[in-house]
Amino acid sequence: MTIRQRIILLTLLTFAAIAAIGGYAMLQAHHNAADVKRVTEGVVPSTLASADLVAGLKDVQLATMALVFAPDANTLAQAADKLAQQQNHLRQALTLQLQQASNATQKGLVQQAQQSVASYFGAIDDTVKFKQAGQQDIAEANLFASVAQYQGELEQVIETLRVEKNRSKDDAINALNHSLARTATTLSGVTTVAVLILGAIGVMLYRQIVRPIGQMQSMMSNVAASQDFTQRLPVARQDEIGRSMLAFNTMIEQIQASSSQLKQKTTDIQSMLQNMPQGILTVQAQKVVHPEYSAYLATILETEEIAGRDVMDLLFSNTQLGADTLAQIDAVWGACIDEDAMNFDFNQHLMVGEIEKTMRDGRVKILDLNWSPILDDDGNTCRVMLCVRDVTELRQLAAEASEQRQELEIIGEVLAVSQDKFHDFIIGALRFIEDNQALIRLHPKGDAEAIAQLFRNMHTIKGNARTYGLQHLTHIVHQAEHTYEALRQPRPDVPWDPRMLLDELAQVRAAVERYARINEVSLGRKGPGKGQGEQYLLVDRGQVHDALHRLETVNTNNLIELVAARDAVRKALRLLGTEPLSQTLDSVIESLPRLAAELGKLAPRVVLADHGYVVRHQASGLLKNVFMHLMRNALDHGIEDADTRMGHGKTMAGTLKLHVAAHDAQVYLTLNDDGRGLALHRIRDIARARQLLPADAHPTDEQIARLVFLPGFSTAAVVTEISGRGVGMDAVQEFVRRERGDIAIRFEDQRVGAAFRAFSTVVTLPEALFEHIDTPVIHGVSTSAAATV
Amino acid sequence: MAQILVVDDSSTVRTEVSEFLKGAGLSVTVAVDGKDGLDKLRADSGIKLVVSDVNMPNMDGLTMAEKIRGELRNAAVNIVMLTTENSPAMKERGKAAGIKGWIVKPFNGDAVVATFKKLVN
Repeated sequence: MTIRQRIILLTLLTFAAIAAIGGYAMLQAHHNAADVKRVTEGVVPSTLASADLVAGLKDVQLATMALVFAPDANTLAQAADKLAQQQNHLRQALTLQLQQASNATQKGLVQQAQQSVASYFGAIDDTVKFKQAGQQDIAEANLFASVAQYQGELEQVIETLRVEKNRSKDDAINALNHSLARTATTLSGVTTVAVLILGAIGVMLYRQIVRPIGQMQSMMSNVAASQDFTQRLPVARQDEIGRSMLAFNTMIEQIQASSSQLKQKTTDIQSMLQNMPQGILTVQAQKVVHPEYSAYLATILETEEIAGRDVMDLLFSNTQLGADTLAQIDAVWGACIDEDAMNFDFNQHLMVGEIEKTMRDGRVKILDLNWSPILDDDGNTCRVMLCVRDVTELRQLAAEASEQRQELEIIGEVLAVSQDKFHDFIIGALRFIEDNQALIRLHPKGDAEAIAQLFRNMHTIKGNARTYGLQHLTHIVHQAEHTYEALRQPRPDVPWDPRMLLDELAQVRAAVERYARINEVSLGRKGPGKGQGEQYLLVDRGQVHDALHRLETVNTNNLIELVAARDAVRKALRLLGTEPLSQTLDSVIESLPRLAAELGKLAPRVVLADHGYVVRHQASGLLKNVFMHLMRNALDHGIEDADTRMGHGKTMAGTLKLHVAAHDAQVYLTLNDDGRGLALHRIRDIARARQLLPADAHPTDEQIARLVFLPGFSTAAVVTEISGRGVGMDAVQEFVRRERGDIAIRFEDQRVGAAFRAFSTVVTLPEALFEHIDTPVIHGVSTSAAATV
Repeated sequence: MAQILVVDDSSTVRTEVSEFLKGAGLSVTVAVDGKDGLDKLRADSGIKLVVSDVNMPNMDGLTMAEKIRGELRNAAVNIVMLTTENSPAMKERGKAAGIKGWIVKPFNGDAVVATFKKLVN
């Protein structure tokens, strides 16, 4: 039942109760009125009338007396009339009494009175007859005898009737009083019941309407206060309150949804601000930095003090910007913030896009700035947002890429010139530069002839550079030539400044030397050509071209692309002028089967593990010489003949292993074999015999091993055709040391003091003679052709 | 009848700004200071935009702007200030005088021309 229905019901019930009480009261009033009327108009007059009967009887008696004692006929006649009249009255009064008799007793009494009256009147008639007949005495006697007797009877009856009437009247009045009292009681009872029922309904309505509304209100207040939109009001009713609660629940559901959406967005933004690798800040009126900014900004600016700072102080202090530019930027904030959006456009050209900011420790960061207005609903710029990007690395990479590009271009230029011609060009250019240097120093005040000579020299370098298409060099040489040209004029607009001229010359020299270095190091074309034509280049021109193209097209604003391009080009550049170790040692390994055959041994297996290291061309000759000696030595002195090997349970053919590793800017080339090992006792004996070791000395194994590097040491019983010829280990050590390297013998077993010990020969060389590339070019096994024979 | 009044005590700025705006197809008249500016504005009811320097002899730009709104009862004309600095006090006065824009010198013609055209039409 709805609340509306309940209220209507309560109102109707109230009306019904009031109507019932009213109706009942009216009915009772009506009854009581009738009762009163009956008492006042019936019972009381009737009682009074019964008293009148006594008077009527007296009247009749008096009239009878008057008649009996009438003196004359006239009086007699009058008395007779009077008597008849009085008799009639009495009769009528009795008739009326009969009509008014309220019960059988009264009725019986009245009828008794009527009979008594009839007797009484009969006696009177007799008396009257006697009177009229003149029989006065008889009449009088009759009067005192029978009339008086009947009169006495009648009086008694009437008295009884009167008493009865009085009693009846008292009864009626008592009944009326009772009835009135009952009515009052009933009415008050009904009213009380009605009040109680209505009160009960009221309480019920209160409980069902006011209380739930109160609860709803308190729950709503609770939700509003706690902002906990996960709460729901319990809906257990179908009425208006239930529907209100349902509507409220729907509303907080929507609020919850939108608030969680808002929360999510705020979280997203916060998380973006926390995690994006970009500095974002907004500036409000008075140039103050807003408290919300991206966390990365602190990393970029290297300070946690950001919120509330003056942006000029935070961002633009300690930058390359001059005072005037700073003043302009300083004015821009006021011109834009809290002003119409158009002001941002007006002043945008003053918002610098890149600053070089010096950090506390002196490092300089290049910061890219992106400015944008944040507009309010009125179209005014309420804040200015600045995106700050640290592009230091990007710019460095771009510079590096540009440098690489120049280098590749120079490589291209150098490759187009034959080695001989290029060599001659460099020698010539350096000579002219020396010449110019001497000329400048010789003439601190300038000299026309000297200037002419300077110009001719530089012009020659430029001419040659241009002829060979060395464009980068031509450009730099042209600058110097241009200066000399200016000095050559009759009234030069540049002064003769030896220091400046020497600086300029140093730049030309640096450029020439750069070309020379690229030629020698990157391309491995040191010196004039050796008549064997152009050296083989590991990286083909297509690859150089691809690398160059990559650098020309790279997006210099994209760090990832730049890094990828730089790495790819770096690899291409590194591979220039290098060769794999297998290629370097190719001729050495190829010579082993023939040597083995001469020694009556089987050709050995050679295993190379370069671990991604390739050899620069300038180290190629050294490695060939060193390993020619070491490998032949190993085959001659270490690896046994097939029979001996089989006797020791070894494979018939021996194995030589060479592996490359790097550590602390050194490259370690470790060679070992599976032969009999180092013949320590023989080395010691020979050393003693040759007085390289005192006879009483007790050297350790390591000390003995080192003896092999002494000049003129040879362990072979006979100087073999193989390793005894040419150079010894002392010479090998000399070669290696010349390149700032070293050579050592390292034992591989624990058999201290044994005649033969397993060992490795470790050649250490500077890392600069090698390049490491990401993936090993060669790793695996090179088996000599003869090994399978 | 001109659309734009350029007020600046520097003849270089006057010439440069007005030549640029003329080149962009706008009609321009010039004044040498605030007083002159008020006279020019009284004489020419066609002026829709005043581009004024702030610091000038006789009458500065802000005072002129206040008089345009006060004495001249001209609430319709747009006022844009050319400035080198911008203090809160200046901004407050400018706001009261209904100044629409602040252009920090040096003036960039390309950035303003489209907006100026909108303001004069």
